[in-house]
Amino acid sequence: MLIGAFAVAHTPQLLIRPETEDRDLVLRVHAAMARVKGRLQAMKPDAIAIVAGDHVEAFFLDAVPALAVYVGRECAGTFGPYRYRLDIHEDLARAVVEQGIERGFDLLYTQDARLDYAFYVPLHFVMPEPAIPIVPLHVNVYLPPQPTPARCHTWGVALGEILRARPERVALIASGGMSHFPGTDRYDSPEFEYDRGVLEALREGRGRELARVTGEELDKRGNVELRTWITLLGAVGDARAEVYCYEPSWHHGNAVVEWPLP
Amino acid sequence: MSEAAHYRFPPSQAYPLNRCLFALKSDRAFAERFLADAHAATEEMGLTEGERADLRHMDRDALVARGAHPYLVFMAGLRLKMLAEPATLEYF
Repeated sequence: MLIGAFAVAHTPQLLIRPETEDRDLVLRVHAAMARVKGRLQAMKPDAIAIVAGDHVEAFFLDAVPALAVYVGRECAGTFGPYRYRLDIHEDLARAVVEQGIERGFDLLYTQDARLDYAFYVPLHFVMPEPAIPIVPLHVNVYLPPQPTPARCHTWGVALGEILRARPERVALIASGGMSHFPGTDRYDSPEFEYDRGVLEALREGRGRELARVTGEELDKRGNVELRTWITLLGAVGDARAEVYCYEPSWHHGNAVVEWPLP
Repeated sequence: MSEAAHYRFPPSQAYPLNRCLFALKSDRAFAERFLADAHAATEEMGLTEGERADLRHMDRDALVARGAHPYLVFMAGLRLKMLAEPATLEYF
């Protein structure tokens, strides 16, 4: 069963705040993430499937998968002083790989990959208590050639069908976004108006329009990570988004969103 | 993806540079050696002298122009700051 769907920013400065970051803004994003945590507590999911773009941590240039599933008993990673280790819902993860392959998606799977903060930052703030197992799903966002938005959407449609047919109660989270240009000369000038247009379309249930955006457009708009959202949009169909927050910092459009599901 | 993209296909001649940035980002022991002596730490990494100089200064635009992946440059810089100036950061 697919019982919930959310998108959550994963800016590292939300977890470890340098003096360059507006503390009040960071706390407002934390408050929006706390709402997600409250929703998850109430929904009582058996697992969280989280779609994130590994930030060249599990997968460096020795192997660059377009789509991957972490299958195993647990996954672990570090970020600065944080050491994290999370249980994987192995049955569900394995079902996603097997049924995904069966449906024609050439998924990579791993039983031993480092879990990046792109997964960890949202879970640090939204994981229910006691913690529940996860299924980490990777979409390549940073190393060209990335999967096209259309492919991400198609994968998301299949993922949604797979999850809906399962006995477990599953919440789906897309990690990342919105506009930002880390490491480039555009770092201090994200495309906030583009983000606001995307959020308006999502509020109106027009998420499938994002499947038609090109990879070039996402790069130009600082939104390569929207591939994780577009994957989720394939799974939620025409559900209308509720935007918990949109907080543009000097370098990043921080959004927290829920798609309430019937 | 065009050559004007912000995130471009990583050229293979920049592989040693990207490997080094990856290590700065993800290998704490290497990052500590780099902070102690950047020149010595990058001795065996197969880098050009120009690449080593740009790394010492973490010159973002110069590194990216050499084929470094911008995200790796960004996160290597943030990780080095986290190691060098931990007291300037707030942890949640």
